[in-house]
Amino acid sequence: MLISTILREEKPALVAIPVSIVALAFAPSVVPESIGISLITVLMFAILALSWTMFSGPTGFVSLATAGLFGVGVYVSAILRDFLPIEVLILIGGAVASLLALAIGMLTLRLKGVYFILFTFGVASLIRSSVAWWETNVNGTVGRHVSGASNEVIYLLLLIIFAVALVGGFLLRHSSPGLALQAIGENQEAAEHIGVNITKLKVLTFAASSALMGMTGAVMATRFRYVDPSIAFNPLFSFLPVVMAILGGLSRLYGPLIGVTILVVLQEFLIREYPYVYLLIFGLTLVAVVLWLPGGLVELTQRLYIRLKIQWIKMRMRITRFRRIRQADRR
Amino acid sequence: MTMLEVSRVSHRFGGLKAVDNASFGVEQGEIVGLIGPNGAGKTTIFNLISGALEVQEGSITLRGEDITRLRPDQISRRGLARTFQSPKLFTGMSAFENVRLALIYGNPERRFSHEEAEREVNRLMATMGILSDRNKRVRDLPLAGRRYLEIARALATNAEMLMLDESMAGLTSRELKQIMGRITDLRNRGMTILMIEHVMEAIMGVCDRIIVFHFGTKISEGTPAEIAVDPVVRAVYLGADS
Repeated sequence: MLISTILREEKPALVAIPVSIVALAFAPSVVPESIGISLITVLMFAILALSWTMFSGPTGFVSLATAGLFGVGVYVSAILRDFLPIEVLILIGGAVASLLALAIGMLTLRLKGVYFILFTFGVASLIRSSVAWWETNVNGTVGRHVSGASNEVIYLLLLIIFAVALVGGFLLRHSSPGLALQAIGENQEAAEHIGVNITKLKVLTFAASSALMGMTGAVMATRFRYVDPSIAFNPLFSFLPVVMAILGGLSRLYGPLIGVTILVVLQEFLIREYPYVYLLIFGLTLVAVVLWLPGGLVELTQRLYIRLKIQWIKMRMRITRFRRIRQADRR
Repeated sequence: MTMLEVSRVSHRFGGLKAVDNASFGVEQGEIVGLIGPNGAGKTTIFNLISGALEVQEGSITLRGEDITRLRPDQISRRGLARTFQSPKLFTGMSAFENVRLALIYGNPERRFSHEEAEREVNRLMATMGILSDRNKRVRDLPLAGRRYLEIARALATNAEMLMLDESMAGLTSRELKQIMGRITDLRNRGMTILMIEHVMEAIMGVCDRIIVFHFGTKISEGTPAEIAVDPVVRAVYLGADS
């Protein structure tokens, strides 16, 4: 049923997804090096925003645990980098983040609304503090140096994870579990009473999306080259993907990607031009997005498109009426 | 055959005993009405049977199987479906998608092809007389349409027993007659129905048996004719002197 639904309803996406992945694969070879480096940041946030949207988008359960799950991946890579190849580290980072998400899910997914948000944020802070304590008291260090990988390797690996996130997000949106997640977001009680095992579905989706976050962390550790808890578990990794996804719009798969591109470009511009106030401006952007763009740019564009279409139809009706009057006058 | 058996069930909300030692049964193919003044514990009983609330004392069986400790999704998959006092539909989806989702999750052992699912959803929507609304968003449906859609969605879970929580509230007299007809049709096709209702015309018109609750306690049980003349019920509804 999934395949037939996609073939019938989503032909443009079947072209757009492979084209965008191929275009991104060739992008570093045709754009200046500075933009190529920015593309790494774009891909990192794109994966985080897409994976956050997989669970939080349809269900409305806003998770702020992203920094914790990403940071766990970073630390897996930092600890094991000298012993294992990066491809294996990615898989381990994803698995550890996923297991952690399963535990968080079991504890928190019965919570609702603001309690869930606070709990996930608290869990991310708890992981950060625990790692900081462990590093200081057990290993006697603050941070770790990580053997780096080349930008080309990092970009390629992130692109592969991005492709998985994009295709996974697309399939989820068109599958029965995707529809059930939407049902949970709209009315959890009703979803439960039509046979949806809501706890299982929520926990598994949360764990699967968290695996992508951990994998991304494992790759990014080789780009950071030096990690400590304040870098790996930076709360911005929790907040920015949420703002980016909401700015772009959650109703479409490409919404978060639009938000990511705009905010990464804005962030880099602000860091370069206004390094001391960029966080302030970012904060104001968050407030503006939540207040005036709850449906994101996708919804805004759709609304504008409908308005323009109505105006266009009205104009054509006026022209037709005018022509008829003129023809009648001639007669 | 007994479809549902509620035995000595009690439930407290803090110091308030919402349901007190309630026992009753529903036979297969019966329409049983659950009535009582506001606060009588009717919806709490529905919530206990459907798994939305945890049973603190007593037991509930469905076709002889103990469902007392099961979750709502497990109970739903065992053939007991319910509607809500104020319809709880997925408003961002179309009417068709609401029923399709219930069809898929209510029948996990079956894999529907797209065509099979569409045919089945269309059949269920036609049963409730809302096939022409299939592509409408839920928010665009009138109240009666929402009530029918909620019943169609409950039926899609392959239900053998339906619990209808005030499905006739707020309907016009014409709509009321229509929904009463459709509920009777469902029973004629073998469906067992337990319904909470305040519309006495409907309760008296379609129910085989009526159970009356007051302050969480069952005070009477009988046919509509017996309940209509029961002095205890009359006292509860009309005052002690009546």
